[in-house]
Amino acid sequence: MNVLLEFRRDFLLAIAGLAVLLLIGLGVDHPWPRDFLTSIFAYGLLAMSLNLLIGFTGLVSFGHAAFFAFGGYTFGLLLQSTGFTGAMGAWSVPVAFVAAAGGTALYALVIGAICVRLSEIYFAFLTLAFQMFLYSLIISWVDVTGGDQGLMGGIPRPEFLGVDLSNPYDRYVTCAIVFVACLMLLRVVTESPFGYTLRMIRDNPTRTAFLGVNVFRVKLISFVVAGAVAGVGGVILALFTSGAYPEWAYWAQSGEAIFMIMLGGLTVFLGPLLGAVLLRILNDVVQSYTTHSEIVIGIVILAVVLGLRRGILDFIRDLWVEREQSSLRRAADDTSRSAGGEAGR
Amino acid sequence: MKKTDTRQPAGFDRRTVLKGAAATAAVATGITGFPAYLKAANAPIKVAVPTILSGRVAILGQSSVAGLQLAAKEINDAGGIEGRKIEVVTRDSKGKPDEAARMTRDMVNNEGCEIVLNAEASGATFAVNETVRDIKKFCLHSCSETSSLTADPKNQVPWAFRSCRQGIHDAVGGGLYAAEVAKAKGLKRWATCSPDYAYGRANTEEFMEYVKIFAPDVEVITETWPKLFQPDYTENITALLNAQPDALYSCLWGGDLVAFFDQASLYGLFDQFEAFAVNLTDYPVITAIKNLPEGVHGGSRYHKDNPDTDANEAWNEKFRANSDVLPTNWAWQNYTAMSFIIEALKKTGGNTDAEKMAAATAGLTIQSPFGVDGTLTMRESDHTLVNYVVGYGVTIGKEPYVKDFTTTDWATITKYEEEWKKRNGYI
Amino acid sequence: MFDLDAISTCLSTSACVVNQVTSGLIIGMLLFLVASGVTLIFGVLHVINFAHGSFYMLGAYFAYTAYQITGSYFLAAAFGALGAGVAGVLFERLIISRVYGQNVLMQLLVCYAFILITDDLVKVFWGAEYLAMGIPPEFRLPPFRIAGGFVPPFYLFLVAVAVVIGIGSLLLVGRTRFGKIVRAAAINPSMVSALGIRVPVYFALLFGYGCILAGVAGALAAPVRSMTPGMGFGILVESFIVTVIGGMGSITGAFLAAIILGLTRSIGSVGFPLFVDGAMFLIMALVLIFRPTGLLGQGQLR
Repeated sequence: MNVLLEFRRDFLLAIAGLAVLLLIGLGVDHPWPRDFLTSIFAYGLLAMSLNLLIGFTGLVSFGHAAFFAFGGYTFGLLLQSTGFTGAMGAWSVPVAFVAAAGGTALYALVIGAICVRLSEIYFAFLTLAFQMFLYSLIISWVDVTGGDQGLMGGIPRPEFLGVDLSNPYDRYVTCAIVFVACLMLLRVVTESPFGYTLRMIRDNPTRTAFLGVNVFRVKLISFVVAGAVAGVGGVILALFTSGAYPEWAYWAQSGEAIFMIMLGGLTVFLGPLLGAVLLRILNDVVQSYTTHSEIVIGIVILAVVLGLRRGILDFIRDLWVEREQSSLRRAADDTSRSAGGEAGR
Repeated sequence: MKKTDTRQPAGFDRRTVLKGAAATAAVATGITGFPAYLKAANAPIKVAVPTILSGRVAILGQSSVAGLQLAAKEINDAGGIEGRKIEVVTRDSKGKPDEAARMTRDMVNNEGCEIVLNAEASGATFAVNETVRDIKKFCLHSCSETSSLTADPKNQVPWAFRSCRQGIHDAVGGGLYAAEVAKAKGLKRWATCSPDYAYGRANTEEFMEYVKIFAPDVEVITETWPKLFQPDYTENITALLNAQPDALYSCLWGGDLVAFFDQASLYGLFDQFEAFAVNLTDYPVITAIKNLPEGVHGGSRYHKDNPDTDANEAWNEKFRANSDVLPTNWAWQNYTAMSFIIEALKKTGGNTDAEKMAAATAGLTIQSPFGVDGTLTMRESDHTLVNYVVGYGVTIGKEPYVKDFTTTDWATITKYEEEWKKRNGYI
Repeated sequence: MFDLDAISTCLSTSACVVNQVTSGLIIGMLLFLVASGVTLIFGVLHVINFAHGSFYMLGAYFAYTAYQITGSYFLAAAFGALGAGVAGVLFERLIISRVYGQNVLMQLLVCYAFILITDDLVKVFWGAEYLAMGIPPEFRLPPFRIAGGFVPPFYLFLVAVAVVIGIGSLLLVGRTRFGKIVRAAAINPSMVSALGIRVPVYFALLFGYGCILAGVAGALAAPVRSMTPGMGFGILVESFIVTVIGGMGSITGAFLAAIILGLTRSIGSVGFPLFVDGAMFLIMALVLIFRPTGLLGQGQLR
């Protein structure tokens, strides 16, 4: 019961967050906030879904952008095929959306089945290798993917229930809703008993296996969910750019996502999202001063990794936990009543 | 790393973060969102230039910027347009399509650019093309040679134009030239070695198609497709050796072409058969190849002797004096793009409205050192550049590297282009 | 897509066999040099050097500059290799040693940062455009004709150098005092340092040696491959595949796997040119499914 109550609060917060996003996007008469936020939705989902693997399951994937690209390409290719839009009519967009998320999940299932059994390091660079395979496939399968030019000529978006995704406002609202829904999905996954199994696997896989948990299956499920959410991120970016591009599957995209997680914080749910926002602002600022932006980004990464050794929200969280614990101690001194069953779960 | 799983702190963080996110968004909007841009009478006309200034193609991007800056400098020194100067804003997209699209939006929305001069390769060009369709800004594509950009009605944007070579023009010109050589020397068995991506495939297919049209005896016996930016061509070179063709066609370019030539020379490849390489004669490529073999047929990208006029020679010297990179195909194309923008602005009186600019540019003819008869025209029907020099020459081991240019006349090119368009259902 | 006739035709003509086998060896040997560095560093230090491709790139650029100055290719190659080694020692001491024993995430991130920084620094010092060293005069000879096939002298040199270095690496790790100390320190560093041996120095030297191997590969590639910032990444991914197939930590395994991959590439370019990359991944997936420790890898996966 407690769990339901907990999620009810999460839902309320999510709705409040969505309201804020809509207010910013619709209230400001300038395309910039919408453009900025839409790209944050896309990259935010990439980073947050990757953190389901890294932060919660302990699977350090270096090839997560493959699913991002896979989702974007599936969505774009379906809508560009006249056979598909002809058969689906007004239902084209929602069906393509579901197909993109489902297709990415399937793809993640295949890659995951090969990879998740492996140890940390093997896992990291195998996911990288499979990602580079997808990249070279996209580049050379010109007839289907358009090769390095990406999907050309724009992605058609037939109107659905009065929602016209070529209209920037409709598009923004749709993307915001999808984004918040995905966040809720990730939230439910990570805070449910399943999420606690993930943490247990992260902290000690052997012990978890002894407890009778099928570690392989749980890891695989986590991998598939993360892949599908990343795929949805790709769909948002495909909608936004009206195309899909091979760079989405390039290794640097995965590296960037990992850095977003590290920058924002990997133990706090919304950390990766903050990382996505910060990295994007950092990129914009640096690029307007120098063409050698990569040196600056590289130095920032080193400073965060070697200096701070954790993300910004991790840092704040650690501070808070310390304060919380000392006040809990005081409360325990004051009364003999239990401080609540929460901490023990 | 700390792994604390208590709920309470997480609850706190969620609230903090939501507030924080909202605050960050608000602050970010305040800082970077709305740089005040003024449209005062004498404010410069800003031209947004997404281009590639890093990575493998950087030298082409740098020569592009040098080319368009040269044209801008000339008009600014002459007093600008109705007193307004041209100001160029460049951004390095690293050739990534989605970055190029985003940067184009930002340059227009946040920095007040009114015109887009898209100096991106084909990869990002289609992304920018969709962007300018969306934000409705006048746009000149100055680098993408992919024919379908302007030929395919699906890609056409009413206020977008192309001021550069086009694949199909080069294919007709190159095909004619190669067919003449093939007939004269009896080259029947052909092989190709081109990069495995959209440009490489389309270019090679079109070239061989026209060789076969003009010399029906020719057959392609083997094709080998190295990956784009592949470092090692040995497997491709040995595949060519095993096939023993009479002639080879390649549309590799830039550093890939240099590596291919260096590696193929080890095998004495160019002693064994005739070679045609459309992208060979750009100055940075031909000067980078050590021990350039003689007698290789190279397409005319940019060369000071083609067309062999005083105006071309003078432009070459002017460019080299103003730039620290060598002139390339992209350099003249971007110089031309800026020249068209300037001419169109003169006609609209400095009005940058997309439709007015488009009306002024369609069918426009300008004086130019790169035209076959001293002029270049922006064809009205499909918004693409015509009348530039299409031809082939033969390499010599030293300066000026290429001699004996043959130029294809435009009546022939146009005739075959029409047929090609009909075949593809574009007209 | 699969032209088995073409393969059998090729295998029945000696010229084609010579051409494809040498081509496979050339591709394989450069891969082997890079991969043996990765596998050596992993075997001892238990870190994956995701930045290994950067040392390949630095080796090529250092060799290029040294060749411009001295005009001697052999000096240039030595300089390229040593330069990469020195850069490797610096990287180990200043950066990656700080994340030893930590989560692979940290290792990934510092390597990612290092790749970004070195690629950009190369751009600053050598420019963003491609450079070409060109074949040094002593190798500007017509190719040997062996059984109708062509074998360029420079490539013979390249393969010979790689084989010699491979044997040298095996001896260094297996037979020398240095190798014994390093292997002991890999298993129990505190015990070894209790014996009065400065373990960090040995670790740095080993890391440097791994980078020298990448630097040699870069210097050997410099005359024939065009150099660009970022050139290291492609070979990194392929050398990972080699390492996985061969077995992490095994130099002999890397050698075997590099030859297998090289031959797959060269024979594949005759019979299934569009599936060459796919075939490499297929081999890797099969190895992982049926023999997850790799062909010659020993013991548990870490």
